[in-house]
Amino acid sequence: MLGLRAFVLRWSSLALLVAAWELAVVTRVADPQFVPALHDVARALLDLAFEKDLWEGLAVSTMRALVGLALGTAGGVLIGTLMATSARANAFLGPLVATTYSLPKASLVPLFLLWFGVGNTTNILTVFLATLLPVVVGTYQGVKSVPQVLVWSARALGTSPLAIVLRVQIPGALLPILTGVRVALGFSWVLTLSAEMIAAKTGIGKLIFVYGESGAYAYMFAGIGMILAVAYAADRLLVAITARLLHWNDGIAAHREGTA
Amino acid sequence: MQGVKAPLIRIAGVSKHYRSRGSRVTALAQVDLDIARGEFVSIVGPSGCGKSTLLYILGGFLRADEGAIEIRGRGIEGPGIDRGVVFQEYALFPWLTVEQNIAYGLVNAGMERRQRDETVRHYVSLIGLQGFEQRYPRELSGGMRQRVAIARTLACEPDILLLDEPLGALDALTRETMQDELLRLWQGTGKTVLMVTHDVNEAVFLSQRVVVMSKRPGRIVDNFAIDLDRSRPREELMVSDAYNEMRNRVWLAVRREAMAAAA
Repeated sequence: MLGLRAFVLRWSSLALLVAAWELAVVTRVADPQFVPALHDVARALLDLAFEKDLWEGLAVSTMRALVGLALGTAGGVLIGTLMATSARANAFLGPLVATTYSLPKASLVPLFLLWFGVGNTTNILTVFLATLLPVVVGTYQGVKSVPQVLVWSARALGTSPLAIVLRVQIPGALLPILTGVRVALGFSWVLTLSAEMIAAKTGIGKLIFVYGESGAYAYMFAGIGMILAVAYAADRLLVAITARLLHWNDGIAAHREGTA
Repeated sequence: MQGVKAPLIRIAGVSKHYRSRGSRVTALAQVDLDIARGEFVSIVGPSGCGKSTLLYILGGFLRADEGAIEIRGRGIEGPGIDRGVVFQEYALFPWLTVEQNIAYGLVNAGMERRQRDETVRHYVSLIGLQGFEQRYPRELSGGMRQRVAIARTLACEPDILLLDEPLGALDALTRETMQDELLRLWQGTGKTVLMVTHDVNEAVFLSQRVVVMSKRPGRIVDNFAIDLDRSRPREELMVSDAYNEMRNRVWLAVRREAMAAAA
């Protein structure tokens, strides 16, 4: 019962947007030629639900986003750990990370298109690059913030310097790492769709692009709605996994509260 | 027998310098200290006198810039399980349960499962934490955490215990209980203990020898042999003249250094 008010508050902004949208179209404040009524979007969604295009597109895009994210996470943890534990690696890689951090990775898609052509490689590579850096930064800060005494006591208890990384520094850095992964997960959808719009024959991004080009706006919004739902579900899943993995952590309650 | 044997730990002419904003700070200057096997020695002194630095050098975490340290006649190359360390902030692994924390060093040592479980059970009951085996450090009080940290170190059966203000974060009552436990432990196992503390009472109550260090650069300025009958209960010992005379002497020596540090 106590959660009811929070539940209403949480969903009311979304409900208001939906209501305002529908009202604007029905009252002709917005031109239905350019903004489809929501009930038309719903009808388009129902229509698409029986087409395999939508499901195949979603499956292909989700695969690209998650493979890119997985590679980006693996690479990010590796590079971030290296930078945090070796002054030499940090001096070498630091400037590269700092300068490429704010580069919009989508701007590289034409280049990858030239090198790798249309298809998965170009898409996944773009996602990989975009997800790499948030994980590098999260891992670097996380490993740096592991207390020195924790490393020392592990050493005194017979842990080899290499095992320290796996048994102390990465577990101790897990919250910042997973926070980085969460940022990267958001990027992975953005970049998957951007890359698909420029350089793909398949995927939900391509589908949205084609519908938009041909003026089928209700279908375009239906596609956007589907990918939003998938991205939202993936984010919730990651938050749930993070909470499960970090149940021992003092900071986890704040991490969970800070999310919708 | 004692006089003939070489000391277990020999610290000779050890100095340690830090770089701080371009200038060189000497943390330890020419420290000499011998510790015999089975001895309980405490180091007291004003804050920042380098007493923890000395402990960390013995632990193998820091290197001395000058001088030599020998344990059983051999130099130190990094940390080792022959020296168990208990840190001021407990340094428990927050992602491991009480049981897993205590088992941590045993896993590293390659102890087989059954023996490991038995050893963990033994130490859990020694520190009176039965029923808390599956708890995580954040669910424990400061006193409980410290007991786990001590158990985790003892489980590896190190010959030497290096304690860095191990009871510093505890309230007065828990602290006395833990002191009693520490004393019982030392008496029961005959381990060699080097403890850093800022509490003169604690040092005199527990140690056979109390070493006083000066303000930075840290040197050893006093070395008190404490000869007390520790079979007597705490209430009796701490009100005895012998205890109080010793306590006052150490306290005055520490105070002199603290005043010099403030001047």
